[in-house]
Amino acid sequence: MSNLVPLEALDRRAIIRQIAFGVAAAGTVEMADAQHVHEATAAEKTAKGAYKVKAFTAAEFKTLGRLAQLIVPADDVSASALEAGAPEFIDLLSSQNTKLAEIFHSGLGWLDAEMNKRYQKSFVNATEKQQIEMLDLLVAADKLERTRLTEEAGYRKSGRYNDFTGYTVQRAGDLGPGVKFFDWVRKLTVDAFYTSPIGIKDVGFVGNGAYTKYEVPQAAIDYAMKRSPFKG
Amino acid sequence: MSQVPRSTEEYDAVIIGSGAGGGTAAHVLTAKGLKVALLEAGPMLDPYKEFKEHQWPYDVPHRGADEGGADYFGKGKPFGYFSTTSGGWELEGEPYTVGEGSQFTWFRSRIVGGRTNHYGRMSFRFSEYDFKPYSKDGLGFDWPITYSDISPYYDKAETFIGISGSRDGIASCPDGLFHTPPPPRVHEMLVKKSCDDLGIACVANRRAVISKPLNGRPACHYCGQCGRGCQTASAYSSSQVQVFPAMKTGLCTVLDMSMAREVLTNGNGKAIGVLYVDKRTREHKIVRGKTVILAASACESSRILMNSKSKEFPNGLANGSGMLGRYLMDTVGFGLSGYVPALEGMPHYNTDGNGGAHLFMPWWMWDKHNKLDFPRGYHVEIGGGYGMPGIGSFQGAARRYGYGAEMKKQARFAYGCNVGFAGRGEMIPNSHSYTEIDNNVVDQWGIPVLKFHFKWTDYEWKQARHMEKTFAEIITGMGGRVTGLSAAQREADGISIPGSIIHEVGTARMGASAKTSVLNGYCQTHEVKNVFVMDGGSFVSNPDKNPTLTINALAWRACDYLAGELGRGNV
Repeated sequence: MSNLVPLEALDRRAIIRQIAFGVAAAGTVEMADAQHVHEATAAEKTAKGAYKVKAFTAAEFKTLGRLAQLIVPADDVSASALEAGAPEFIDLLSSQNTKLAEIFHSGLGWLDAEMNKRYQKSFVNATEKQQIEMLDLLVAADKLERTRLTEEAGYRKSGRYNDFTGYTVQRAGDLGPGVKFFDWVRKLTVDAFYTSPIGIKDVGFVGNGAYTKYEVPQAAIDYAMKRSPFKG
Repeated sequence: MSQVPRSTEEYDAVIIGSGAGGGTAAHVLTAKGLKVALLEAGPMLDPYKEFKEHQWPYDVPHRGADEGGADYFGKGKPFGYFSTTSGGWELEGEPYTVGEGSQFTWFRSRIVGGRTNHYGRMSFRFSEYDFKPYSKDGLGFDWPITYSDISPYYDKAETFIGISGSRDGIASCPDGLFHTPPPPRVHEMLVKKSCDDLGIACVANRRAVISKPLNGRPACHYCGQCGRGCQTASAYSSSQVQVFPAMKTGLCTVLDMSMAREVLTNGNGKAIGVLYVDKRTREHKIVRGKTVILAASACESSRILMNSKSKEFPNGLANGSGMLGRYLMDTVGFGLSGYVPALEGMPHYNTDGNGGAHLFMPWWMWDKHNKLDFPRGYHVEIGGGYGMPGIGSFQGAARRYGYGAEMKKQARFAYGCNVGFAGRGEMIPNSHSYTEIDNNVVDQWGIPVLKFHFKWTDYEWKQARHMEKTFAEIITGMGGRVTGLSAAQREADGISIPGSIIHEVGTARMGASAKTSVLNGYCQTHEVKNVFVMDGGSFVSNPDKNPTLTINALAWRACDYLAGELGRGNV
């Protein structure tokens, strides 16, 4: 779009200045305030080379990194969630929230124990095939559990089924703690990836700019119309 | 209360609340040269500090999950970290209670500008029939005013605030004075085609966002982030568009962090000012005024009046009718989303636009009620496009595809292929929906709190079912498939939780008779001539039009009347 106003350049400052003198409240309008967050982030990035783990042991942090590579792996479009900073994201939040830290400490502990039982190796020391086997088991158990919960909710709502003691869809069983942990690690890893510059570029988000006019490209209109029931 | 410090100044008006109603009052009255004091229970707003417009998620280390990932535990800010909500459904130290068997959730904002800093900016005029609903179908109550009474004030409010939209001649949603609206996005064009096939009107949305400069405010720069607060004030907020300019006149004194407790009277049927708590010092103070305007939000204003008990007004101020708190209404909400394969693989483009949907569906069956099993109607809001990725955006894909390369591919592939529909409908006021003072609970300022009672009836449930059926038809008409109820948990049970659409109005309704209403048609209390209610409290019905623009217009009209009466010595 040719009418793009470069946001970081003169125009936005001009707009802000105009507002500062035009409609803003009297008092403390700090022009630099909008920038302080950017600066804080830049400082964090500089420090990234020597990221200091806050909430986890070195081994735990390494496991989070391996999980990040498996959950959102690198492909021909973009790098993995490891490069997108997923372990650092989980570490930061866990360092601020003991409840979250507990979820991850206990989950990582469960994972290594289960890996040792099955393969006599910790998660990071297992082969990729073994790691994937483990995660696939958790995903399958998770899906089963979700189906069961949905059905159960359906029955509850219908009022046809008041006693659930006899309802015997297979439960997650021994894998229960792992299913819960995987849900958390996946949730935060996926969020870390798609909120990073890498992830935002991966899905092709092109907004968050400033324009003098809003336009919709004809190529996009034609593409969708042709594929729709309306055929343009 | 002789020991309570009081202002030496007697203002022409003391306004409680700085949102749509209070902001309009401050603007209109100061423009007439009147001196006002504006009480706000929250702090002064600094848009450059508060508004997180244009930030990327990675600009903050927690990416929007908030400190300690509060968002994952349902304890983040309502509508997300980047939104500019200053308040929410629960306020620390300021509780409310809900009666047994009822459900109600009350959103309160505590900052100059209130909810107008972040609201959806939908700006629809009520139609002629909206003011006479009882005459139309025998349900609810008629307003004491007509469309022609308020139409000139819609003109004034629209001209001053700036609304983008198009003139379509639709009886259910009268045309206004509009700025040019932005063109529809691709998914909205498909929605319109589907609506055309179904005989559903689908026209340019009407939002309080300007597309040309207005009173020193630059035109919208199409970042689509109105909910984060608009630093350029291209989207209306009462703080930037009304309160700050009013302050610059030197006639408006803002008393922030000031929680109104009672309207004080002189024993001769007149109000003399407002007793409030200075939240910074916990001191009680009095601000004196020739008139008092309550604009604290519908329920909060009623709370203040109910708490303003005296020998003269034992049931609370202006409550001789016993109608204070009665006929509380919210909007009927229901959401459904769908996946549209026609959008798969489309060349990505910027769908930010002017923030909300660029098209909407005004109620199209207003003259075909014989074909329906419910009264009144609803409008439809559209969601979709390539939204900025944020916390939670791709959780659906993760759950569906597990993890790994396939999940990553599917997330990319399905991005931007979803559309969402939100119905916003009119409820019939009912006697089970009301608020009262809970005599057993006070807030941290020692002020008795509200207790809510609320019930949807079959009218609302049937309307929600019609929404569900209609949205499914629109989705399948576009070649899409229904993916489920709106992601919003608050709408997941088939009808919105009362209060959750944040259109709570009524409780101090206007009417022709002092026996059955609190206010007259000018938002003036029947009983106390120098007390006005200029928020949604005055609403007699809650049409399927978002209430803000009508609050603006009614407040403007009431202020014209107030200033005239003040000049004539009648108040």
